[in-house]
Amino acid sequence: MAKILVVDDEEHIRLLYSEELTEAGYKVITAADGYKLTERIEKEKPDLIILDIKMIDYNGLDLLQDIRNKFYNLPVILCTAYDTFKEDIKSIAADFYVIKSFDLTELKNKIAMALEANIP
Amino acid sequence: MFEYEVNPDNIKKATFVVAIPSYNEADSIAFPVLQADQGIQSFFGDIESVIINCDNNSDDGTKEIFLGIKTNTPKIYISTEPGAKGKGRNFSNLFKKIVDLEAEGVVVVDADLKSITPKWIKHLGEPLFQDFGYVAPLYVRHKYDGTITNSIAYPLTRSLYGRRVRQPIGGDFGFCGKLAQIYLQSDTWSEAIANFGIDIWMTTLAMNENIPICQAFMGRPKIHRAKDPGADLGPMFRQVVGTIFNLMIKFYPFWSNVKWSKPTSIFGFGLGETEMPPSVKVNKETLFQKFQDGFNHCGHIWEKILQKETVNKLQEIRKMNKDQFDFPTNLWINVLIDFTVAYRDKLWVEDELLDSLIPIYLGKTLSYVKKTERMSIRDSEEFIEEECIQFEATKRLLIERWNGSKPN
Repeated sequence: MAKILVVDDEEHIRLLYSEELTEAGYKVITAADGYKLTERIEKEKPDLIILDIKMIDYNGLDLLQDIRNKFYNLPVILCTAYDTFKEDIKSIAADFYVIKSFDLTELKNKIAMALEANIP
Repeated sequence: MFEYEVNPDNIKKATFVVAIPSYNEADSIAFPVLQADQGIQSFFGDIESVIINCDNNSDDGTKEIFLGIKTNTPKIYISTEPGAKGKGRNFSNLFKKIVDLEAEGVVVVDADLKSITPKWIKHLGEPLFQDFGYVAPLYVRHKYDGTITNSIAYPLTRSLYGRRVRQPIGGDFGFCGKLAQIYLQSDTWSEAIANFGIDIWMTTLAMNENIPICQAFMGRPKIHRAKDPGADLGPMFRQVVGTIFNLMIKFYPFWSNVKWSKPTSIFGFGLGETEMPPSVKVNKETLFQKFQDGFNHCGHIWEKILQKETVNKLQEIRKMNKDQFDFPTNLWINVLIDFTVAYRDKLWVEDELLDSLIPIYLGKTLSYVKKTERMSIRDSEEFIEEECIQFEATKRLLIERWNGSKPN
């Protein structure tokens, strides 16, 4: 069972993703912010991260840089309420960029694609 | 008088190299050399460095200009033998020199660059000393600059080898000393690689060797001699596309196991506001006409190498007038799949086969131009990303075709 780490400062989003993704067959763990995120990743070894961009004390795009530099192949999906961050060149270090919605169909598709991605 | 090497400071070892390949660049080489020197002094001042001009024995005084520029960094000039031309041949000499110098990091920049800044050297070079082995450039390009990259090199390399390197034939990049050894030992060298196929060859080998790749943001657009995509493409198209097809044969065991794609790390921020690239004019009438002419000049080749449905689809869009004209992405993917299989199976003379792809590519380019005409650069990037996902999603078809079925 693939383990997904959801990093989002909004509790209702963490709850929604936890419920829906658990139902979809994933093991879900959550973090309310980016505090010591790379250490947490090292410890929990998630297979994929869903990362919010705009959090109160953290910028998801900076966290993405840290994650990508340390965990080169770890899939990261940026999930945000705003389309505008796509214009930030840093966002292309993510596997996918998904706009937040209560319908998780697109997010689930991207999760499946990111987990299937394989380079020998 | 011909000199294979001029090494005024008798440099025997260097940890960091900035290389500038050239052929008759006397009027432009001074600027990138001075920027490279400033970049080295500002950001790599504490390590042994050298600037190398790897030249095709230019007869316009490139060597004299290069050696005459006052720099704080020592310089070495190396040349191919008289008569031996080609960018790749310059690189072949460069690889040997890098191994001799025992360099750990190498940055290459084009000799005709007008927009390079010292920070380009920093951004392309620093990741090489931080666990990355290959650094590709990321610059904002006008949506009609680099159409071979946008329609062929980027989507194909991304879907084949699984790494999203946006400028796989960027011309300005960095690589580690270990890769120079790998390049020298590779058994894939060809005449196309000795020319303009060199960039895509280097990127593809780095991917196949699982070398950690990152992309460095340059901040400024690449300003060089941009070309109208409708203008004569000739040898460059043949060499770049031929190299991609050729490497597909060699690296089938690798790419057939790649699914979807992954991003790379990104370096090089804090450059302030991003400068927008100059506009590139496209002559839509020429693109349309060259696509139409292709049926007369290459129709017999297409009949032989393309699947029947693909030929029928091409005939369908041939009948569209310029205003209706549309070249669907899935048709473009099918064309490329058929061409790669035909190339592998030698269904037609290699150069003629590659040349016969040009009119179809120009039709695809016209369609891209029409669809992105009112789009911002960012939106046209989104458009290309969507196309890439289609390439990845239909890779199964490519593998099926490679595993057996013949055209028609």
